[in-house]
Amino acid sequence: MKTRLAVTTLAIATLSSGTALAQDKTLVINSFGGAYETAHKECIITPFEQENGATVQIVTAYSADAFAQLRAQKEAPQFDIIHFSGGQEIVGAQEGLLSPIDASKLENIGDVYDFAKANIAKGEGPAYSIAAIGMIYNSDNAPKAPASWKDLLDPAFADHVVLTDISNGYGMLGFLMLNQVQGGSLDDIQPGLDAVSTLLDNGAIVVTTSPEIQQEFAQNDAWLAAYASDYAYTLRKAGLPAKFVQGAEGTPASYITVNLVANRPNQELAMKFIDKTMSAEAQTCMANALRYTPTNAKAELSDEVAADVAYGEEGVKGLLRFEPAKIEANRAAWVDAWNKTIAR
Amino acid sequence: MVRAVPNGIRIAAYAFVALTMLLLLAPLVVVIGVSVSESQFIAFPPNGLSLAWYRSVLSSDAYLRAAALSLQIALMVTASATVIGGAAAIALHRRNLPGSAVMATFFLSPLVLPTIIYAIGMLMLWSTLFGGVSMMTLWLGHTVICLPYVVRTTLAVLSESDPFLEEAARTMGANRIQRLVHVVVPQCLPGLAAGAFFAFNISFDEAVLSLFLRRADMTTLPVQIYGQLEFSPDPSVAAVSTIMIGITILLIVVIDRVLGIKRFAST
Amino acid sequence: MSDRTESLLLTLPGLLLLGLAFLVPIAQMLVLSIEGENGPTLAHFARFLGDPFYLGVLWRTVRLSLIITVICAAIGFPLAYIMARVGPRLRLWLIVLVILPLMTSVVVRTFGWMVLLGRSGLIPDILRDLGLAGRSFAIMHTEPAIVIGMVQVLLPFMTLSILGVMTRIDQRLEEAARTMGCSFVQTLRSVVLPLSVPGIVAGSLLVFTLSASSFITPNLLGGPRIQVLAASIYRSVTQTLDWPFAAAQAVILFAGVLVVMIPYVALTGRGNG
Repeated sequence: MKTRLAVTTLAIATLSSGTALAQDKTLVINSFGGAYETAHKECIITPFEQENGATVQIVTAYSADAFAQLRAQKEAPQFDIIHFSGGQEIVGAQEGLLSPIDASKLENIGDVYDFAKANIAKGEGPAYSIAAIGMIYNSDNAPKAPASWKDLLDPAFADHVVLTDISNGYGMLGFLMLNQVQGGSLDDIQPGLDAVSTLLDNGAIVVTTSPEIQQEFAQNDAWLAAYASDYAYTLRKAGLPAKFVQGAEGTPASYITVNLVANRPNQELAMKFIDKTMSAEAQTCMANALRYTPTNAKAELSDEVAADVAYGEEGVKGLLRFEPAKIEANRAAWVDAWNKTIAR
Repeated sequence: MVRAVPNGIRIAAYAFVALTMLLLLAPLVVVIGVSVSESQFIAFPPNGLSLAWYRSVLSSDAYLRAAALSLQIALMVTASATVIGGAAAIALHRRNLPGSAVMATFFLSPLVLPTIIYAIGMLMLWSTLFGGVSMMTLWLGHTVICLPYVVRTTLAVLSESDPFLEEAARTMGANRIQRLVHVVVPQCLPGLAAGAFFAFNISFDEAVLSLFLRRADMTTLPVQIYGQLEFSPDPSVAAVSTIMIGITILLIVVIDRVLGIKRFAST
Repeated sequence: MSDRTESLLLTLPGLLLLGLAFLVPIAQMLVLSIEGENGPTLAHFARFLGDPFYLGVLWRTVRLSLIITVICAAIGFPLAYIMARVGPRLRLWLIVLVILPLMTSVVVRTFGWMVLLGRSGLIPDILRDLGLAGRSFAIMHTEPAIVIGMVQVLLPFMTLSILGVMTRIDQRLEEAARTMGCSFVQTLRSVVLPLSVPGIVAGSLLVFTLSASSFITPNLLGGPRIQVLAASIYRSVTQTLDWPFAAAQAVILFAGVLVVMIPYVALTGRGNG
């Protein structure tokens, strides 16, 4: 997308916004809005500002929108740090939008589980929080508590099942898990698609965004949805009878990563921000506020919080991760196949 | 009223207006209902009655700043789009330029493409040329997508206008500027007013351009609402909308009292 | 200064704005549609045009836009006529009511519809109580939901476009027609309707193009199982990150809308269509 413009001669210099923001002590980052942003500020951003005498400017943007913005601004990115929850860091690193991270410059990285920092030298930022994908169910109305991923197909839930479109990151992982228990693999998603067809025939509905899931549980008597632990907590906080269980066959992990943007002047300060994000105290705080699994082995959670997340060396081992590079390579084709399967 | 309108038709007209209003207002009633709910989620009929969501919105810096920015941009856009679009429509109506018809279609083209495509293109262009976006970018972007409304509504009104008025003014010795100001512009006033009104609304409610063409200090109200939804889809977003409905009604009542109804409603 | 120069001066700001702040960025994006790994390619277009699924999406987009336009015109014309003929105060309030939907954020408004049209929503509930529908019946995530939601937002554009023209119609023409023995309905059909055509044309163009290019409302109300082209473009940009394909879809949407619009403008004749 470079030099596509063979120089438009509108050199109206006054139009230039300039990147005067890129001063020494200022960082621009994205956060995810609402309760997430509140916790993000309290656990990481404000302490970081105080410790470093820095200013952090927050742009509220979800992963997908933030990535589109980052890619379009390749020539002059505005973010110093960008957070992703849908695997966008893989594409970002491939396209050179993100900078490799030198582990030797991060004090806290030694305490972080290896799997959470596997590709930081390639530019894929480390995971600082993990959302566990399992099943959210309505503990008041559902005829029974689900235990296995196969329970999604149980006729007892029939038209009270909510599926999430795979354009949504959590939806993708839930679908891949369903595919796996039905005998499929990352090379063959047909068993999963067949299961989805059956679910739709039984009356399941498909939604795209998180608020729609809340809407279904609050308003339309939904009983069961494959989604993430953090959102079950969001629903519970809102006073809905939503419980979270991990499926017996395994719990896919969705990573929230913190990434260093390439071509920015302030990388040293940005590295400090990443270091702060990876610290045990920051991650404990995020887990308390939003129910994420910390990736820092030294993060200590109370029993109450630990019950809601996968926790500790053992708990984390139980998380399974679908090979992200393979997801990225197949995403377009899978979305196509999925769309055709669910189309009326 | 022209002679008597048959009674049957009169009744049918009442019923028709009532049904139409039901269609238009039903979701707004839901929004207002949700906004006074005690519950933490969006549900209707509301559980309990509480003004807590209004308190939380009105005491939120983020919402107030976003509303102020949206208002500022919408006003700037209304002015620029109305002047630029109105002038273009007047000229296009005369059909004395080569390719007037093509140009009329050209002025409609920003409506045809989904704004996401325009937003990304604009972001790429501005980043390449100027190293980032600014209020200017958002202003230009909004003006572009609001222009078609002004051009359309003004052209429609002009097509019913009397072409001889301007001719008469010329014969009476009015110069170009006088003719424009005293004859042509008054003729297209209803169209300009409708167009300006659309421009204000489109800009105020525009979410996609504003989502992509922004910096940390440039969050408009629709973007603020959208950002609130993913992690905290609570009735505060309904409270914001209800406040906006209230302000609209209030504004019109004030205009009515101050300027008198006739001038305004001649649209 | 000649008349031409004056016209040119009047259009110049608009042309400059559209040229620099619209055509250039759009071109930069749309040119991606022919970008391939080894030079220019039509592969992205071939992928779309060779796939019944995407052709279905295109056809649905055009079909729904036409339906929405026709419904808006069918409601907007009589509504505008009534508004033009009532007293100024009532007219003002009718205008206010018509435009109120525009004053609420599109996302919030759509949530309102989701509450009304969903499975346990008011309207399906009533239909169920009347024994007209079963438990899983919902209007949400169907094509009618898209049509209902879009008509609500787009009706103001149609109504006000027609109203602007209608208030300029000389009422004496109607009186004359009535005096000559035309019935009320005949007068409407042979006097008011023809004179309102420019307003209807302008309104239809706005409504049609807006229905074809908007995606938030269709996406939320239609759901992922009923896709329209603009929503598909949004996904390609933000989810599958396939910008060349997004650009190709945008070009096809543009062409599809033109194919419908040009004959329409030509048919409605010399008017400012």
